[in-house]
Amino acid sequence: MNAVEISNLSKNFGAKQAVCGLNMTVPMGAIYGFIGENGSGKSTTEKMICGLIPTSGGSIKLYGKDYTDEAVRAKVGVLIEAPGCFPGLSVFDNMMLQAANLRIPDAEKEVVKVLKMVRMEGAAGNKYKNCSLGMKQRVGIAMALLGNPTLLVLDEPLNGLDADGMRIMREVLTDIIKDGKRSIVVSSHLLGELQKVATHYGIIRHGKMICEMTADELDASCRTYVALQTKEMNRSRMLLGCKYSRVEEDEAGYLRVYDLTTPEEIVSYLYENGICVTEIKTDKIGLEEYYIDLMKGGK
Amino acid sequence: MEAKKELKFESPSFGRRLGGMLGVDFYRLFHTPMFYILLAIAAIIPAMVSAMTMMPDANGNTMEPLYSNVWQIIAASKPLYVIEGIADYANMNMVFIFGGIMVSIFIGHDYKSGYVKQLFTTHAKKQDYMMSKSIVCAFAMACMCITYLIGGTVGGMLVGYSMEVNVVSLILAIIGKMVMSLGWASLYTFLNIIFRRYFGISIASSFFFGTGILIIGVAAIVENLSIPTAFLNIFLYGSSVNACLVSNIGTLLICIVISVAWAIFYNVLGTRILSKSDVY
Repeated sequence: MNAVEISNLSKNFGAKQAVCGLNMTVPMGAIYGFIGENGSGKSTTEKMICGLIPTSGGSIKLYGKDYTDEAVRAKVGVLIEAPGCFPGLSVFDNMMLQAANLRIPDAEKEVVKVLKMVRMEGAAGNKYKNCSLGMKQRVGIAMALLGNPTLLVLDEPLNGLDADGMRIMREVLTDIIKDGKRSIVVSSHLLGELQKVATHYGIIRHGKMICEMTADELDASCRTYVALQTKEMNRSRMLLGCKYSRVEEDEAGYLRVYDLTTPEEIVSYLYENGICVTEIKTDKIGLEEYYIDLMKGGK
Repeated sequence: MEAKKELKFESPSFGRRLGGMLGVDFYRLFHTPMFYILLAIAAIIPAMVSAMTMMPDANGNTMEPLYSNVWQIIAASKPLYVIEGIADYANMNMVFIFGGIMVSIFIGHDYKSGYVKQLFTTHAKKQDYMMSKSIVCAFAMACMCITYLIGGTVGGMLVGYSMEVNVVSLILAIIGKMVMSLGWASLYTFLNIIFRRYFGISIASSFFFGTGILIIGVAAIVENLSIPTAFLNIFLYGSSVNACLVSNIGTLLICIVISVAWAIFYNVLGTRILSKSDVY
């Protein structure tokens, strides 16, 4: 059984079609990285999954049931934009309120457990308004985790986090799906970070799903390349450009050769032309580059 | 492995859903400073109105008292659908204006903070929200009625107004106005649902309806046409005005029926709107 199954979903805002004919499958136990440009329909789709926006067409099934089903909706946790906390109350009190809302038995124990999961047990007494952005994001996830939800929908939870906050968030997300019962749909523009945790990906463009794949499939489809630096970069680029079909210079100042070749072949070719290679390595393109390539291809 | 992954989903009962939401809303109400500020305002305003009308003006002349009786600060002597002066208007009905502000702040924060997103994700039934808000805000307005009663009584006594009254009618009028809180709270909740994206319009519309401007206008036309004004009691403002110092058990029954009927109407309509509209 899949956690989320969307078929032919559409949403119109007046004459504007925000989502059109979208198909999406989130397996159980997956961290589903939901990727797309601003305005591509990510948030709209997430809001429809959560029942916050009525659909214009198509179907959404959560654990095999219609998304409007009361029982299944009671097991969905959400963090979209703001977590709905009261600034003047402490983190713990905010959590207790949400627990009361969900009528969770033994609420205090559950709140402590969830706060531990998001590494916030030490800040439970802090007023929400005094929390840092990273802490607020984690409180938001903790709120979403109350009531033991089986599906979490997180919209940009990595935004504004520092390096340590990112690391903690990655650990939290991985911990959540450990038991294989929970699934997470997470959207983010920080593709490098997303790649470290996601098990599945969905790429949306202009309201349509253009690609869905597992992390392994992404890995297999990401091209390898040889990156190198020489003392004569311009001449190297010109020479390599004559021999290979795709040679590009990256942001770090490396020349990348994407064709099927080996570092040895490149080193000897340049050496024959009087150029000394100072550094050379093979690597794979990441999700970010894959995504950019995909977007360029679609234009 | 597959068996391990089997999940059970249980529908929360109506009582559990509403109980949870009411618990949170009452907690929030008691932790909202504006609630206590409005309670205080509801007590101060009648005291101020009665005291100021007895103060000497700039020429040293004592102003004509607005009231002849303490209890006229609480409820009018008779059902006055068309007001002729501030005294006809300045009674416990003013609480319904304060209540409008209270509901706007309450619901405005729900949307601004993202609380409704959490709520409507886990609570598929929108009627719970309408009901919970209506009940809690009606309670808040009923509390304001009590502080208004205290403020008005103390102010009137200090000024030296007569205390003579038909106690039964007075009690029935006060209970009637408290009962009307439910209808008003439902109306305000409904208005705030419609204007949920525009806090200013929410407050303005609540104020507009709370002051009963519409019905006062209608009442003036009706009076000029010599049509019995009693039919205005089918409206919230009409029934609220009808609960006065000549109230009887029939008046209270009208208040109960009208308040509950409008509350159901606005709750059903609000639920439909919430179900069909986007949550921002």
